[in-house]
Amino acid sequence: MHNLPQTVIQESRVEQQTIDTFAREANRIVGSDQVSANPADLLANSRDYWPVNNIWMIEGRVPALPQLVVWPGNTEEISALLKLATKLKVPVTPYGEGSGTLGGAIPIKGGVSLDLKRMNHLLEIDEESLMVRVESGLNGALYEELLNHAGYTGGHFPQSLRCSSIGGWLACRAAGQFSTRYGKIEDIAVSLEAVLPDGTIFSGRSVPRTATGPRLDHLLIGSEGIFGVITSATLRIWPLPEKRHLISYTFADLKGALECIRLIMRTGARPAVVRLYDAQETGNHFPELGDQRCALILLIEGTAKIIAAEAEVIDDLAIASGAVDCGPEHVEHWLEKRFNISVASMLFQKGAVLDTIEVSTNWHNAHSTYLAMQKSLLAVEGTMLASGHYSHVYPDGAGLYMTVVGFPGSDKLAFYKRIWQAAMEACLAQGAAISHHHGIGLHRGQWMHEEHGSGLSVLKKIKKALDPENIMNPGKLGLEEGKLWQK
Amino acid sequence: MAEVNMEQLLNCALCPNMCRCDCPVLQALGHEKVAPAGKARFAAMHQQDHLELSNEIIEAIANCLGCRGCTVLCPFPELNLCDELLYARTPDSVDQSGQLPAWEPYLANLKKYGSPYGQKPPFGGKSSRGSDVLYFVGCTALANHPESVAVIGKLLQQAGVNYQLIDEDCCGYPAETWGDPNLAHSLAAENIRKFVECGAKKLVTCCPECWLIFTERYKKWGFELPLEIVAAPAYFLGLVKEGLLKPAAIEQTKLSYHDPCIWARTAKLTKEPRQLLESIPGITIEEPLFSGELTHCCGGGRMFQLSFPKTAEEIAKRRLSEFTVGAGIVTACPFCREGLSQENNARIIDLLELLANACCS
Repeated sequence: MHNLPQTVIQESRVEQQTIDTFAREANRIVGSDQVSANPADLLANSRDYWPVNNIWMIEGRVPALPQLVVWPGNTEEISALLKLATKLKVPVTPYGEGSGTLGGAIPIKGGVSLDLKRMNHLLEIDEESLMVRVESGLNGALYEELLNHAGYTGGHFPQSLRCSSIGGWLACRAAGQFSTRYGKIEDIAVSLEAVLPDGTIFSGRSVPRTATGPRLDHLLIGSEGIFGVITSATLRIWPLPEKRHLISYTFADLKGALECIRLIMRTGARPAVVRLYDAQETGNHFPELGDQRCALILLIEGTAKIIAAEAEVIDDLAIASGAVDCGPEHVEHWLEKRFNISVASMLFQKGAVLDTIEVSTNWHNAHSTYLAMQKSLLAVEGTMLASGHYSHVYPDGAGLYMTVVGFPGSDKLAFYKRIWQAAMEACLAQGAAISHHHGIGLHRGQWMHEEHGSGLSVLKKIKKALDPENIMNPGKLGLEEGKLWQK
Repeated sequence: MAEVNMEQLLNCALCPNMCRCDCPVLQALGHEKVAPAGKARFAAMHQQDHLELSNEIIEAIANCLGCRGCTVLCPFPELNLCDELLYARTPDSVDQSGQLPAWEPYLANLKKYGSPYGQKPPFGGKSSRGSDVLYFVGCTALANHPESVAVIGKLLQQAGVNYQLIDEDCCGYPAETWGDPNLAHSLAAENIRKFVECGAKKLVTCCPECWLIFTERYKKWGFELPLEIVAAPAYFLGLVKEGLLKPAAIEQTKLSYHDPCIWARTAKLTKEPRQLLESIPGITIEEPLFSGELTHCCGGGRMFQLSFPKTAEEIAKRRLSEFTVGAGIVTACPFCREGLSQENNARIIDLLELLANACCS
């Protein structure tokens, strides 16, 4: 047995003397009980929910360890800490609730894991303008509970709601299951407060819109911690809906169902939830519907009269498309089970490798991207299942969510890399975007050049300008070639 | 020694933890190492010989209140993480380390006095030897509120119930919590001997942790209980329903009820305490942000007030913030009473003392 498990993709570490200096200063800034080199803290902040971490955990290994964990209590403390980190050239990896699925919170270059969970307060509700100011470390489910208690909803329900934070939502540009009505996190965010690596604290104006130059605070939405630390945000909220209408349909095929959804979105109807499952996932999630047809579940909520009109418009189009009305019970079942991902833990224990890969398509390639990705995934030796559903829809396209499970035997990591290579190549060949809402993190960075083209160099220039010492979450968002993982 | 269910422990360790929002320790400290999966990962890695059980790791795993808050949203129905964590850090043999230095004085007290708090104070109630009802006070109520014995005794007398008190020993739960299962078993054996000797048919306890250990652990430890174990809120509600207790109006009318974790989630006693409150004329109950089975722990579970006092205080502070300012807070657990009182003494009221006030004045 070892004091700390072996690391697998630790690229570098900061000299201990520098870390000791940082720790001494950090003790002064945040208090000695909020700075730790305790092995339990280092180990706990070594990982997130990237599936590869689970493979390593079963083997008794961890991806990479921070050298210190620091828990700031306010924005000013973060400012002082980042100034110090820049001066001493100590890498800083922000850490929220650790639910990221692409390794974005792994401190591959050691340094400091900056854990934001102490900054977990709902600061202020503006009931007149329907906004809330909230610290970035607050857990998503607690945020929603606090709002519900006051008669509001945040409208943001990622599957990770209960294990993710406000800061995490913003940093990875998250999308919730009710997003067709309430929008994604970038639509929900009015303004952000953030700290840059030089210690600058800045925030955007909390007004509906500005034409005062680019929204610099919004630059941090999706930045995954590479530009600075999001400390709080002003988010839009909604009164708790007066009524909810649930309806489900089945279609003979995915293509016909997609066309029906496209037509629904053209009418201006905005159901909160629109989820279309391929036949395989229909059979898995709703066995009573069989595995030959494709299930569409819809949840419409808001004011009763508007809902009634939306429901009528949707029903007319669905029936005209040849859909079969299956009633509300399948949506109720989904609502009950939507946070249950227990099957993942069980499959990992049985030696499976699994992941979900979400991409963004327009309507013209929504179906072809599904077909291409499924074909490529199934062609990888060891793949047992490659299925998909569309979890978010827009007037201009849809988010496609593929699930892949394989039993590759001994070389699980090689299999993992092969399925991703297959999926990303197929996605890019179809002209789809490589991520819809999980983000880039460590793992997906290798396709950032193909995704952005020359845009990636623009991102690098901004990074260089804001973070010349490259202290903020180094090695993520595809800005550097991964030395250990990607090779 | 209790066996760890590795499949269930790994289920948690491999999960992103949809229960994080319901772990009071994590929410109070904000430290990842005390997240349910954080603790489960340490425990699983230790069980698989990948991680040494150092004091730092024991301390992290032991940062569990046993409140079972994590079970509310857990997708694994057979997983009781609180117990798996406890078993995983319990040494297999006496020569192995599994205890933190901070626990040693309490374990020494348990060995010497049969209570983690040291010498037990004299009992205040009128015990009738040979009665069918045994009123089991519990170490924590006895140490912190010895006067409650007389108050509850008075309530029983008012209902015409003859009861007896015994020279009780700690139920054993603290010893198990502090990594000494052998001591837990010997305390249990001594209690069982006294239960048999006193001849009572029914044991009524106000302490949810005693109730839990009697009903869940004693059988697992191989002891046969010679009497029925009854939770005090249910027992006293029965007395009210039978008309043996007739509560009258009291001065306070607006009250909130804090559900103790074990009563709410394990004993499923959420309606009974409220019905008891409502039996007092004029009482209105104002629910806190989280109540019933969704209650949040006060910070006192698994002897946290002794093991990790600073964390216990933080958890209590968070729990108190979930109540409406101004309403008195009623609870039915000596740990909750103690924990929540740390913040503001005046507002915390014991359910049975309130009932006694309504029935006996």
